[in-house]
Amino acid sequence: MTNAIELRNVTKKYAQFTVDNVSLDVKQGYITGLIGPNGVGKSTLIKMILGMVRPDFGTVKILGCQMPVQEIDIKQRIGIVSDDCFYYEHLTIREMKKLIAPFYKKWNEQKFNRYLEQFELSPRKKIEQLSKGMKVKFALAVALSHEAELLIMDEPTSGLDPVFRREMLDLLADMMQDERNSIIFSTHITTDLDRIADYIAFINRGKLVFNEAKDEVLERYTIVKGDLQLLDADIRHKFVGLRETAVGFEGLVDNRQDAERLFGSYAVLDKPSLEDIMYFSAKGGRVYA
Amino acid sequence: MLNLVRKDFIALKSSFWMSLLYLVVFSAAFIPKMSSSIHLVGIYTAFATITLGTMIDIKHHNHNFLITLPIKRKQIVQAKYLLAIIYAVGGVLASYAIHVLVNQYFPELNKPNYSIHDILGPVGIIFVLTSVYLPLFYAFSKKGASIINGVFFILLIALAQPTAIFMNMLHESGPQSDLTIYWILIGTLLLFIASYFLAVALFTRKDL
Repeated sequence: MTNAIELRNVTKKYAQFTVDNVSLDVKQGYITGLIGPNGVGKSTLIKMILGMVRPDFGTVKILGCQMPVQEIDIKQRIGIVSDDCFYYEHLTIREMKKLIAPFYKKWNEQKFNRYLEQFELSPRKKIEQLSKGMKVKFALAVALSHEAELLIMDEPTSGLDPVFRREMLDLLADMMQDERNSIIFSTHITTDLDRIADYIAFINRGKLVFNEAKDEVLERYTIVKGDLQLLDADIRHKFVGLRETAVGFEGLVDNRQDAERLFGSYAVLDKPSLEDIMYFSAKGGRVYA
Repeated sequence: MLNLVRKDFIALKSSFWMSLLYLVVFSAAFIPKMSSSIHLVGIYTAFATITLGTMIDIKHHNHNFLITLPIKRKQIVQAKYLLAIIYAVGGVLASYAIHVLVNQYFPELNKPNYSIHDILGPVGIIFVLTSVYLPLFYAFSKKGASIINGVFFILLIALAQPTAIFMNMLHESGPQSDLTIYWILIGTLLLFIASYFLAVALFTRKDL
């Protein structure tokens, strides 16, 4: 299986936090969700992939080409959708398109106009008049109109209403009909990924916690619920994250078989959601509610 | 790179009237009072247009957008230097044209006859200013742009008198002046090229 993106030992140090030695493969032909709480390095990682931030150490390879050496070829083949694409605010959509289109060899004018119509975006509207959601729609129209093979999406759904969010996920699913296409989708709204992601890469405190097929992740992890009497110091260590209340506990274990062996029928084992995995992994240790 | 030049013209389309306004205001202010008005009007108009062109890219962090296009950072800088040349030549020629018209229609203002020095001199001065300005702009971007522009505005006012003296010296140095101005121009061009490489190095290493 070939990789659309390959990060190797990517490191970036800031005063407040560090993206620490991240090696990540984004599989070609699949949707990879990049999840993690706010401020753990997802956007920094995306910026390093795009060449906006230079890593202190490590290499970035996109669609088989090395960044930043072959960045022109790479950027011809990728589309970027973010909740803030930093367009020229005083220009209209039509002017912005006039500005962007000549940079792309495979610009498809008909496709672009079709998307504008579908997203109900008037070409006469100025960028500054667009809501956050409308800007994402415009960015998506641009990205899909130059036949991008790889979509890099940084928190694209955060400003969108549920109707367009669903519509957008359908569009992405359409794009994935062509098995050469790939998407990396960074978000903290994990319900979107529950619907469409094939792989999940989880970033926490600047480190890659896992990068696995979504179904395997949901199969491997389990939520354990039971009475407090079941907990002792050794058992507490088995949890990735644990939440204790007056009436019992709820915790995440990263090995379902171990949990079954350990608790048998004394506790309830539930399938976790991505949000559960993110919550308990981010909190770590014990949380008293 | 030509797409980036075109990009600037599209982005500045609604602001170019300001360059015309600068030309009119500076002409009205300097032509009746100063003998070196041809130089000052050209330099001020051209430099103000150059700053318009740089500010348009950082007003809304637009470098973050430009970097997503299929171009290299080096080309973004290259386009700005090319545009600086266009604005320098355009500003100085516009000033020359206005002074030719003034000579024709308002002879009582006693403007001198102009030579090629009156075009090359101001272009050289704009190149020197740009050679300092653009690397600073790419080093500090949005954070420092308004400070840099403020400093350059003061610098331009302070340079009015030295510019007049410098241009007079060129005129008065007689047959040697051609050789002198060519040496100065070669030096200016070398400075401009060195400045370009410095700006590329600064912008390429910068995190956006």
